[in-house]
Amino acid sequence: MTNRDTRIGSAIAAATCSLLGATIPSRTSAEEAGRWDIETALLYYAEGDDRVQDASAVIAAKRDFEDERYLDLGLTVDTLTGASPSGAIASGVAQTFTSPSGNAVYTTPAGEIPLDDTFLDTRVALNVGWTQPLARLYTITAGVDFSTEYDYTHAGVNVGITRDFNLRNTTLSAAVAYSQDDIDPVGGAPIGLAPMLDVGDSSNKRGKDSKDVLDLLVGIVQVIDRSTLLRVNYSYSDSSGYLTDPYKILSVVDPVTGDTVARMPAPGADGPTGLYRYESRPDSRRKQSLFAEMRRDFSGSVLGLSYRFATDDWSIDSHTLEARLRWPLGEWSYIEPHVRYYTQSAAEFYRHSLVDGEPLPEFASADARLADLEGVTVGLKYGQTTASGNAWSARVELYQQSGSVPGGQIIGNQTGRELFPDLDAVIVQVSYRFGL
Amino acid sequence: MRMPLLILLSVTALTGCSSLGVQPWEREVLARDDMQFDGAAVEAALDDHIYFSKEASSGGRGFGGGGCGCN
Amino acid sequence: MDTPSRKIDLGSADGYWIGRFGAMANPCEVLIETTSAAEARDVCERVAACAWRIEDRFSRYRPDNVVHAINSSGGVPITVDEETAGLLDFAATLHRVSAGRFDITSGVLRRAWIFDGGVQVPSQAVIDEILPYVGWAKVIWERPVLTLLPGMQIDFGGIGKEYAVDQAARTVQALSSASTLINFGGDLAITRPRRTGHPWRVGIEATHGPPRVASRLIDLRDGALASSGDTYRFVLKDGRRYSHILDPRTGWPVEHAPRCVTVAAPTCTQAGTLATLAMLHGAAAGRFLEVEGARHWIQWS
Repeated sequence: MTNRDTRIGSAIAAATCSLLGATIPSRTSAEEAGRWDIETALLYYAEGDDRVQDASAVIAAKRDFEDERYLDLGLTVDTLTGASPSGAIASGVAQTFTSPSGNAVYTTPAGEIPLDDTFLDTRVALNVGWTQPLARLYTITAGVDFSTEYDYTHAGVNVGITRDFNLRNTTLSAAVAYSQDDIDPVGGAPIGLAPMLDVGDSSNKRGKDSKDVLDLLVGIVQVIDRSTLLRVNYSYSDSSGYLTDPYKILSVVDPVTGDTVARMPAPGADGPTGLYRYESRPDSRRKQSLFAEMRRDFSGSVLGLSYRFATDDWSIDSHTLEARLRWPLGEWSYIEPHVRYYTQSAAEFYRHSLVDGEPLPEFASADARLADLEGVTVGLKYGQTTASGNAWSARVELYQQSGSVPGGQIIGNQTGRELFPDLDAVIVQVSYRFGL
Repeated sequence: MRMPLLILLSVTALTGCSSLGVQPWEREVLARDDMQFDGAAVEAALDDHIYFSKEASSGGRGFGGGGCGCN
Repeated sequence: MDTPSRKIDLGSADGYWIGRFGAMANPCEVLIETTSAAEARDVCERVAACAWRIEDRFSRYRPDNVVHAINSSGGVPITVDEETAGLLDFAATLHRVSAGRFDITSGVLRRAWIFDGGVQVPSQAVIDEILPYVGWAKVIWERPVLTLLPGMQIDFGGIGKEYAVDQAARTVQALSSASTLINFGGDLAITRPRRTGHPWRVGIEATHGPPRVASRLIDLRDGALASSGDTYRFVLKDGRRYSHILDPRTGWPVEHAPRCVTVAAPTCTQAGTLATLAMLHGAAAGRFLEVEGARHWIQWS
């Protein structure tokens, strides 16, 4: 059979020549293209009023291998500077606090929400993932991710599987991730609800701690019609261990005036001028979320809409709505306006302040991020594809967050002061994507 | 609890999906880059990180791949 | 079958124009490396006209063409025109060099096999009833007269699309000096290399996973590319996948055929023929193409 086979090519060539009625060319030049798909991005995030600023650089690389196997690599570096609200409330007088390291103090002027500006940290994160077919219609993915910063390291693994149905119109997926984080706070992790002490006194601190997180996700992607795709995910997450923010505190206030209870540091020592306690959160948190996203093409423009509902056993419920419209400008560039609306209800242990003389609750936190709040983001992106198939884009977004304190938690003189550290931030990002 | 009801509604809506879909030769729009759910993965990851450190809820879209000391 | 509206969508890109239309139940596109909209429109219209002409002449779904006349001849000899005779000669050659695996009379087996991803596997009795009507050897072909046995049917589906691509390419080569890529549903050819020296980058769609752009990319500078595959057309019963590539000698699907075979060759007809023949070799598809020395890519699952 082999001999006859080798003549097939020339028999076919001759037959094609007769069929097309012409001499046929003999040249073919077809090579498989090298396929590293690389995306780089620079991001700058800045909040108003000298609060947090962050600069991030990302490189993500994807490599195709034969038979639909892929390697994903990612490296992210963030540098964080600036000040964050510590959880203490504004007061009629200037306030002095011991910094997290326990070696220094910082002061907040009267009438202002205290900000802890001792954050200066660089984080490096790495992730690796591998995807390949498992059997016909099945795909399996596995990955590891790792990040480290001055006081925190994270390591995680994830595994997922997808299966296609209905001529690839329906794809079901399930994934599980497990991670372990080690926290080694500057100055040591405070004992929950312990009072803030003078500089050099670390009797209210212990050493490091850790937490682990288990995440489960099941999802479905469904082709609705030629122009519409729908995705729905359900996620469940179980965290346990040290979930408290070691740097956040609560002010202890007078039950009538609502002013922070005054305190004198020991003679000759530096220390807090008020009574403050470190926060304490439960050592377990179970979250669930339902996420739905749709993409629809309108003759070249693409509208993306998504909604996420999340709830957990800290009584935090949230709703997130997002919309994006990619609007082409000619064949090679586009603009994409974006809006996002977020609202959440406070954690059940959220407290604006602790009242002096009342028994201490089991858990309490004044971290604004656990309060009743709303966030609105508005942004615009512009992107362009070059002749060689590379793409770049730039986006600018504005994020405004405002929150509120339940009326029942506002006492006396607190009424006239700024209660919630509203947030105004700008996000700027440029990206470049190319192939190798 | 609201979650089980929402899940039931989603599943019911989607079980009607076995008649939805397109023929293989009708996929030219669906195959475009800008129709992919994870088409802007780097941007989504950066956004996820920002909102993770400023809000109490996170995730839902997929696995973020990463923790930090910021929440 | 309803003909979808025959209109051409023309759009410009950076350095080239793209025309899109539907033909032969496939999305078709023409990419022309030119800055002239007029030239682009002219080339696209010629290519589309070529595709629609061949579809009208050789589609087995139309009640008014030579194929219909042949298939309803009931054993009466039919005299065919030059173009049809050319295709029949080509089919006869393929039948011979493939030792009977390639056979344009095998379409009637469609009555027994419904390839929709379902679980219907016909019994041997059903296939035995149809086999008497399958077999190019039973046909009397003395150019230009064709005589089928009553009940036999011919179908140019296996070579029509690639032939149309090559005919369109020849038309464009005579008409324009611009590098043009003609793509009828994944079977494609280039009229001449691009002026810039860059290749035309072509994607081959993955056989599974959610809808994705391409599982592999081919840089095509010259020549043609064609694929033969069964991504969606198969039967699955008791865990066995029955591909839609039937062996006309037995009436049963070829065993262990790959999911998709893509071949690069100087013409689309040659590429498509080699891809189809490779599929018909089942598990030996790769070996067959290596012996032929053809540039190829195979997706087995």
